[in-house]
Amino acid sequence: MGLHSWGKFPQKTFVDLGKEAIAKALSEARIEWKEIETICSGIYIWGGNAGHLSGQYLASVFGETGVPIVNVYNACATGASALRLAYLSIASGQVDVALAVGVDLSPEGFLTAKSDNPRQDRDVLRWRMVGMPNPTYWALECRKRMLKHGTTEEDLARVKVLLSQYGAQNPNARYKKVYTVEEVLTSKMVCDPLRLYEVCATSDGAAALILCAASKARQYTSKPVTIAATTIGSAIYGDPTLRISALSAPAKAEAPLLSESYSSSQQAYRLSGIGPEDIDILELPDNSSWHYLQYLETCGFCGDGEAERMLKDGETKIGGRIAVCPSGGFSSFGEAIGAQAVWQVAEVIMQLRGQCGPRQVEGAKVGMAQTYGLMGNSGTTILKV
Amino acid sequence: MGGGAALEGDGKEGKKVPALPDLFTWNEDGVHLMSARCGSCGTYFFPMYHEQHKPGCSREGIEKVLLHKEGRLASYTIQYYMPPPPFKTDRDITPYMIGLVEFPEGIQIAGIVVDCTPDRLKMGVGMETVTFTLYRDQEGQDIVTWAFRPAKS
Repeated sequence: MGLHSWGKFPQKTFVDLGKEAIAKALSEARIEWKEIETICSGIYIWGGNAGHLSGQYLASVFGETGVPIVNVYNACATGASALRLAYLSIASGQVDVALAVGVDLSPEGFLTAKSDNPRQDRDVLRWRMVGMPNPTYWALECRKRMLKHGTTEEDLARVKVLLSQYGAQNPNARYKKVYTVEEVLTSKMVCDPLRLYEVCATSDGAAALILCAASKARQYTSKPVTIAATTIGSAIYGDPTLRISALSAPAKAEAPLLSESYSSSQQAYRLSGIGPEDIDILELPDNSSWHYLQYLETCGFCGDGEAERMLKDGETKIGGRIAVCPSGGFSSFGEAIGAQAVWQVAEVIMQLRGQCGPRQVEGAKVGMAQTYGLMGNSGTTILKV
Repeated sequence: MGGGAALEGDGKEGKKVPALPDLFTWNEDGVHLMSARCGSCGTYFFPMYHEQHKPGCSREGIEKVLLHKEGRLASYTIQYYMPPPPFKTDRDITPYMIGLVEFPEGIQIAGIVVDCTPDRLKMGVGMETVTFTLYRDQEGQDIVTWAFRPAKS
């Protein structure tokens, strides 16, 4: 695996970032570029035609070899989709070595509509008619949770406080300041009930993973990390979540909240035979403090309404029952749409190899990376050593 | 949380034109969102041109439906920034409130909240569909979107 650190790099191109991540992954895996038998690349949506063909652009830097290159987009689960495709390419027997890569350079400010046709793009409607950026959706769900489960402002602030302690110790993080509850609670209100430090920023970053057939892995390393399952989930009819882009949702719940993430995590548990109780590390998509709490429930790490207590009792800390986002999470990194799911898996790998220094989860054997994506798509990857 | 002056809903004067067609309409009774209902699976969807069905549905017998003009507040948020383009308005609307309103048909729809102060935003209160002027165009027409305000009844 290889990473380009997260931040804002206005002088760089997506190829600059992707090149660094891939070069590090090759050198770390001690694999030659010519050994890569397929490239599964996340589409970089802000990069025009080049971004939609990110895999070809990156391959030309290292030298074109004629291998299959496929570019995939699934919003925030883009990287998870690239990874799953790389995994399936090996599992099918077609190749033995595959590269999964994701790169993003976020535009300044809000991520807005990419077309102007409201008849076919719900994104146009939500922006033009209601002025609804993504955090609005999180705030609406967060408010519902506060009413249903009694989530307090302190609970929301506590998420940032904990994650900032890990981010401060992660060399690849964008934000490295440690916050107190008071500092978070006096930060600017952005979309009530969520404050500035309780909503993630948009960042630039890149991540690359090299996958290899289990039968060949020991040629390269004495301590391989195994993918126990890597899945993609989509939404289920009757999900009451007001999904990003949509302006409506069913009033009566006939499916779980965040059903796409419920779907991907349940698939991963079934395919791997590993359950939430077996997992030592969880990288979840903390786009906001609400996500942190809700994902613990959506993915089955606690029952309905128990996440606040888990957090307060220290069960989600490093050294607790399950270490949640020991990387510092999106809170410390910011979102880089096409890259973040690959990065989450890379963070789990570093933990399973014991490479995380002061934020190392001692004795971690099983880790899970969970994404969330606009319009109902999600990915789960479970890894073990 | 506190907020500035509440956004004002529209009065009777001036010619109103929806910013985009086929989303809402008005008659003597008031303003109504334009939804559609599948005659086979019963799903209501909005906008009416973005079809949604239960898995396995035959998708037959879709009818356009004007939703009740009133519903109940299911969630809300107060936004402390100006919405970026393609949202178009001719004035600073911050802070603005967004409400999620549950209609009797069983569908929740989001919209800007007007004629309201933050202290009146309570889960479950009755909300009425109205229009809200985004800007006045060169012909002097008020370009409007749908919005919600606390119901009088």
